[in-house]
Amino acid sequence: MTETREPLLKVQDLVVTFGMGHHEVAAVAGVSFEIFEGETLGLVGESGCGKSTTGKALMRIIEPSSGTIELDGTDVVAQKGKALRNIRTRMQMIFQDPISSLNPRRRIKDIVAEPLDCWKSVTGNDRDVLVSDLLAKVGIDPKVYGNRYARQFSGGQCQRISIARSLAMRPKLLICDEMVSALDVSVQAQILNLLEDLKHEYGLTLLFIAHDLAVVKNVSDRVAVMYLGRICEIGPADTLYEAPGHPYTKFLLGAALEADPDSPVHGEVLGGEPPSPMNPPSGCRFRTRCPFATEKCAEIEPQLEEVAPGHLVACHYPLTIGTK
Amino acid sequence: MSFDNKKLLAVKDLATTFHTAGGDLPAVGGVSFDMESNQTIGIVGESGSGKTVLSRTIMGLQQRTNVTVTGSVLLSGFEMVGASEDEKRERWGTEVAMIFQDPMTSLNPVMKVGKQIDETLRVRLGMSKADAKARAIELLELVGIPSPQYRYDAYPGQLSGGMRQRVVIAISLACSPKLLLADEPTTGLDVTIQAQILNLLEELKERLEMSVILVTHDLGVVATRTSRIIVMYAGRIVEIGSTREVFAHHRMPYTRALLESSPKVSNASHTRLTTIPGRPPNLLKLTQGCSFAPRCSYATEKCHVDRPELEAADEPGHMFACWNPLPKTRRTVKK
Repeated sequence: MTETREPLLKVQDLVVTFGMGHHEVAAVAGVSFEIFEGETLGLVGESGCGKSTTGKALMRIIEPSSGTIELDGTDVVAQKGKALRNIRTRMQMIFQDPISSLNPRRRIKDIVAEPLDCWKSVTGNDRDVLVSDLLAKVGIDPKVYGNRYARQFSGGQCQRISIARSLAMRPKLLICDEMVSALDVSVQAQILNLLEDLKHEYGLTLLFIAHDLAVVKNVSDRVAVMYLGRICEIGPADTLYEAPGHPYTKFLLGAALEADPDSPVHGEVLGGEPPSPMNPPSGCRFRTRCPFATEKCAEIEPQLEEVAPGHLVACHYPLTIGTK
Repeated sequence: MSFDNKKLLAVKDLATTFHTAGGDLPAVGGVSFDMESNQTIGIVGESGSGKTVLSRTIMGLQQRTNVTVTGSVLLSGFEMVGASEDEKRERWGTEVAMIFQDPMTSLNPVMKVGKQIDETLRVRLGMSKADAKARAIELLELVGIPSPQYRYDAYPGQLSGGMRQRVVIAISLACSPKLLLADEPTTGLDVTIQAQILNLLEELKERLEMSVILVTHDLGVVATRTSRIIVMYAGRIVEIGSTREVFAHHRMPYTRALLESSPKVSNASHTRLTTIPGRPPNLLKLTQGCSFAPRCSYATEKCHVDRPELEAADEPGHMFACWNPLPKTRRTVKK
């Protein structure tokens, strides 16, 4: 693959803490990754692992406590005021709940036009044409529906409108935070296909945050797995799913249910629950639930290490890789 | 009772209609199926397909106004439709119990979880305070809650989502019901916790010789955990049969569309998903014909004017409602 190409987004040691003193929680505790232009990075993990916080910190909706975020060579963390708003036009976010992310009392053509109106980048007739075009691209007839209010649309349609709005400024990076988890399977499939089409058409790079492993597999080129504020494994989607290197990834995949009665049922089920991020375990964060944990795991925190080209695992005893 | 072993539950022509400002809404429009004891049945469908209303109607939980229930629900030979509140209350807990989707809202946030289990035991079984507490701790242990003596005094807010769902299961099991209705029991939970809860339900079903109706939108949940499944669309059963048969030899195009539109872990990345065009119908504006016809690629004129009834497929117990069913030998696309 093209290893020499420059990443579009480069995240180094990103830390996000909430609260202070005794109540301090590091929701994201040192996360580094890169996303190359044109690729989709899937970010999976269970609730509370910090995946949404990571996405929001990239947009600086939540302020990162430390670390660097570089978009296309520009330091996102250092920007202020207008420069920050300017850089946000290059990355846009789509949220989980499609209905609450649109103002129910506004007409959808105005919702889609809002970014354009804020920047006055496209005005007058051009603006109307562009808005109609965007709505048509996401499968909503602007002539019929453009003047309707957001509250008149279903969840799937609202998500289409959100996509149109996010594309108005022609961003390079799209951060999708659980964008299909509130939708029914038939609608979910429509939205995922639409996203793939638009990705090619607009040359988008995606950070796709989701808890559903099957959905992430379907859209991602590479996948990062998070556990308790840290990335425990990152690698190409197909190899990571086929031969996971981190025990947590293996259990997570084992718990994913396949809609097939003949699928190898219920491998080992992971016991216990994730510990509180307020008081994370010493050493490896997964060791309290890991069947392979030793004393070393309690003492030394494993760092991400390459086990195969592009496949990094943070474990002292990674599962056999490359044998497949 | 002798018929207990044969038919635990017999639902016949069950229809639940809500009278709304916009007109009559047939949330469940004529559903019939039987269930034997010690079975797990899955009811699958998208939102608005009537699966939740169906399970609540079986349980006998409806509002008192603006709703009409017709048909019959025989639970161990007792007719639940039209039964008085007192009669139904006598069956709740001992004959049939229900687990709801959201474990937080089904528990009282300002009451200790132990007390919430006690309540059932004392009211329904007339246990003494001390007996009820001992039994409640046993139940907490049964559902896999660590240090149950200590958790007895916890408030729901102090427990995680998975633990709360275990408490809800403990409450539902307090009076050893013969039938457990689980409405999306794992929907809000993480996959690893979901696997724990599903395993727990399966284990308890065997141990306590219960029957379970698992209501879910997730085909993955029913695929390996149920012996039969019911596929619902727009308030009606469109296909019913043994899980294996329905997955492998489904005849109804909707079943196939549902199966093919769900992403699979075994798919290669960037696999294009098969989609169902359009959206589920508005139940206030149902037509005479098949409700799926407007979205179905096999639909003919007949489908739009005449509603197909369930007809038998090859395997006994496998039925589908379609005028233009998929060919018999069709197998689902396997990896």
